[in-house]
Amino acid sequence: MFLHNLKYELISTIRFKDRLFWIILFPIILGAFFKAAFSGIYDNVETFSAMPVAVVGAENDQVLHSMLDSIENSDEPLLKVTYSDEDEALDALVREDILGIIYAGDKLSLTVGGSSIETTVLSSFVEQYNANAAIITQCAKNDPSSIPAVTQTLSEKLDTCREIPVTDGNTDYFTQYFYNLIAMVALYGSFCGIHITINSQANLSPLGARKCCSPTHKSVSMLAALVGNWLIQSLCMIISVTYVVFVLRVDMKEHLPLVYLAAILGGITGVSMGFFIGSLNRVKLPLKNAISMTSSMVLCFLSGLMIGDIKATINEKAPWFNKINPAAVISDSFYCLSIYDNYDKYIVKLATMVIISAIFVILGFAVSRRKKYASL
Amino acid sequence: MENTVVKIENLVKRYGELIALDHLSLEIKEGEIFGLLGPNGSGKTTTINCLLSLLAYDKGSIEIFGEKMSPVNYNVKQNIGIIMQNVAVFDELTVQENIDYFCGLYIHSKADRKQYVDEAIKFVGLEDFRKFYPKKLSGGLLRRLNIACGIAHKPKLIILDEPTVAVDPQSRNKILEGIQELNRQGTTVIYTTHYMEEVEQICTRIAIMDKGRKIAEGTKDELKRMIRNTETISIELLDLSDRVKDKFAALPHVCSCDYDGTKLIIGFSGGKHNLMRVTELLREEELHSGRIYSERPTLNDVFLEITGKALRDKED
Repeated sequence: MFLHNLKYELISTIRFKDRLFWIILFPIILGAFFKAAFSGIYDNVETFSAMPVAVVGAENDQVLHSMLDSIENSDEPLLKVTYSDEDEALDALVREDILGIIYAGDKLSLTVGGSSIETTVLSSFVEQYNANAAIITQCAKNDPSSIPAVTQTLSEKLDTCREIPVTDGNTDYFTQYFYNLIAMVALYGSFCGIHITINSQANLSPLGARKCCSPTHKSVSMLAALVGNWLIQSLCMIISVTYVVFVLRVDMKEHLPLVYLAAILGGITGVSMGFFIGSLNRVKLPLKNAISMTSSMVLCFLSGLMIGDIKATINEKAPWFNKINPAAVISDSFYCLSIYDNYDKYIVKLATMVIISAIFVILGFAVSRRKKYASL
Repeated sequence: MENTVVKIENLVKRYGELIALDHLSLEIKEGEIFGLLGPNGSGKTTTINCLLSLLAYDKGSIEIFGEKMSPVNYNVKQNIGIIMQNVAVFDELTVQENIDYFCGLYIHSKADRKQYVDEAIKFVGLEDFRKFYPKKLSGGLLRRLNIACGIAHKPKLIILDEPTVAVDPQSRNKILEGIQELNRQGTTVIYTTHYMEEVEQICTRIAIMDKGRKIAEGTKDELKRMIRNTETISIELLDLSDRVKDKFAALPHVCSCDYDGTKLIIGFSGGKHNLMRVTELLREEELHSGRIYSERPTLNDVFLEITGKALRDKED
């Protein structure tokens, strides 16, 4: 009897195209938009790192030449250098082919075409060069033997703050949005969950009434429907993660089986949440759908789907909420896999999802256990 | 003696101040097609829902097949087929899959189920629509699918709650013939409707309901004998003097005589040759009439006489 119910639950759910749009196609479309938007940001960073400049009067300055060559040929070039005379350089500046003109001489000087972050960086570069040149000149006058040591020191980047990574994990800010996107797919499983109780309760649908008249135990048919929707939602989660990792090329490959596991548990949490919402008596189906949609979106918003920093803000103001918000728990599970070298926090997140799902399912069954209704 | 299949005693169901069922008692025997007739809101569907243990009631008792009915009496449920007023099928399953699903809730053996499903499809005439989805079916075919889902497991008792609402005449006839065929095969049927013609056509016994109460019960002939008027003769006449009208009123068994300027309507209470007497009087008085027709009383007349209102007053 369980298998009979399960078989037809799977068939009917797979054929329910409206539902599949929301749990598969919509996230895929949204993910593509995310990727397009973030790719633009990455491209801007790339442009910023190679600023076109013209250098005038550096024909005989071998030191400047070699220094500029090393900058230009580095892995992340700061400058794209063109050596020219002053007239050509000015023309190029007017045409906005270059951002500035560096004039060689005892001291470097700079002419820029406008004010921007890039010209500020250029200005800093020129000032730094002049300061270093002055130090070396002073050393040559006072103690020529110290020049190699001074040059060595100056060639090293001096920072007051040193970045010490605690792990080898991926801390890319934008990846968080894709974690939240997968969390959203998981919570959209609540649409499927709602229909389990709708189709099982005599007071909610003719189908429910017909099932209640049959000799099949209500708990058996509901459990079969729940398992069926868990399976379908798990499939949707696998598709979503595969799409995010292999099509959008978001860096989540390192612990892929565990990513799939977390996503599947997240999907089960979403379906269970819908199962509970659907079991609420005295609430009409359109309102239940609205509750499901709104709660999914709000929980995802609060976990950082739309504004990345909001989760950190909530962590400061109400840290307990992030611990029970299903969307935050799901996205955090991916974050834990990505950041931490051990699985302790990841396991805590999985356990949280299991507990949240269990609470929703138990409450759903408790509310739906009713055999007779006051009105139909 | 026939076995009692359904026994309802003193059933009371309240919705707040409204009394939906007012001390309703019914007894339905094996092999009957029992009609529950009444206008919308009379309590027919509430009775069915209480019978099926879907709806809680305030007072009374319900027994089916001699056992107290409850939501967990699965032995009783095994032998009941239900066809709801609203079509209850899965839009995502084909005709055959829908019937197989609902049949599978009762019949565990796959082999038996396949045979039952095939028979149900044949019975409702959906052989050519096995692979169709419900959305592709017309209203009449959809109703037939709804019926097939309720009867495929060959129940001993079938409850049909207004199965012909919004159905074309052809499908309606097919449905009614199907119900009679099921009954001939030994199934007891409870049929609720507000269409008196359907009840008259198929039901062996009828209970008329109004405002949650049973106001009459019996075979259609027994019900019709409850009222004074047993025959109505209508004559199209363009000119009728008071003298002649009084002669018609004085005929044996006449209980009412009305003339509206174009039609004379005479009500009879009993009597076997009323039409012959009327035509003889027309000839004697040399009156030239249009159409003359005699009508037996309908269940609507029964309802009208008992409640003072027509059955279809509240119809959609």
